[in-house]
Amino acid sequence: MMPARNVDNEFRSLLASSGELVERAPSSLKARLYTCFVRRQQESGPLSSLNDSVASGHGVCVFEKLVQISPVGEQVKSPFFCHVCHARILAEHFDNPPIFWPNCPYVMFKKA
Amino acid sequence: MQTNLPANLASQGRVRTSPGERQLIQGVLTKERKATAHFVDLCTDWIYGFVHRRLMPRSELVEDMMQDILFAAWQSLPNFREESSLRSWVLGIARHKVEDYYRRRICEIEIPDEDNESEELAVMPLFDQQLDSALEQARVQKTMADIPEVYGVVLIWRYREDKSVREIAELTGKTEKAVERLLARARQAFRRRWNDARS
Repeated sequence: MMPARNVDNEFRSLLASSGELVERAPSSLKARLYTCFVRRQQESGPLSSLNDSVASGHGVCVFEKLVQISPVGEQVKSPFFCHVCHARILAEHFDNPPIFWPNCPYVMFKKA
Repeated sequence: MQTNLPANLASQGRVRTSPGERQLIQGVLTKERKATAHFVDLCTDWIYGFVHRRLMPRSELVEDMMQDILFAAWQSLPNFREESSLRSWVLGIARHKVEDYYRRRICEIEIPDEDNESEELAVMPLFDQQLDSALEQARVQKTMADIPEVYGVVLIWRYREDKSVREIAELTGKTEKAVERLLARARQAFRRRWNDARS
């Protein structure tokens, strides 16, 4: 009969060496996770306003900029505008989507 | 962001949270969307390889598991004490979540009292082929996909994660003998599939 220790070593060597590759996360996965994460954040109240994003030094995309400079209240500047943006939909379904706007998070995932 | 670090940790240079990470955490906690995007981008790259490797071949579980980890990290961020880097901390959460998944899978099954490991050892041959590593990896994944999920889980926990039988028993509430029996069945199923694929 084979000693149990050999069996353990045999499986250890076979399984420890498999699946070693460190893979980068696909951009479409990041896009879906980001959307889901923001939706979870919204469950406990609104996101911070786009004015806060700009004040803390972050860039906003061209669509967000239109809202941010509008003479409207802070509440109107808090929704997750990406929800209605085609960039999000493309990014969630393709790993190299044809989206190029500066300061779009979904474009950032593509570049990463 | 308020940080409350023990003076001895700071003086020993063990605090590894960078100012950039602090700013990022603050942004996520205030639900600032761009900081959140950056946080998801970073964390996803940190944990993807870790989770993928430990759940393979069940790739359909990876996304849900990553969602759970990110959400747990967000919920725990207010308690992040900066005693390690953000990366180590997030990986710690990932490890905990993956182990919880392993534990639940093993807890769910009934392990029969009677089983004979020696029979497995006597009957089943050793892996008799040295394969090229990419080929071997593919074959391991294929074999793992073909055996019952709980067998794959216990094999990964024992041999890839190097958990002892005692640790697995403690974490799952099973006896060491029951874990040994489960492992024996898992090895037997794995070998059978491995050898079937060869022939």
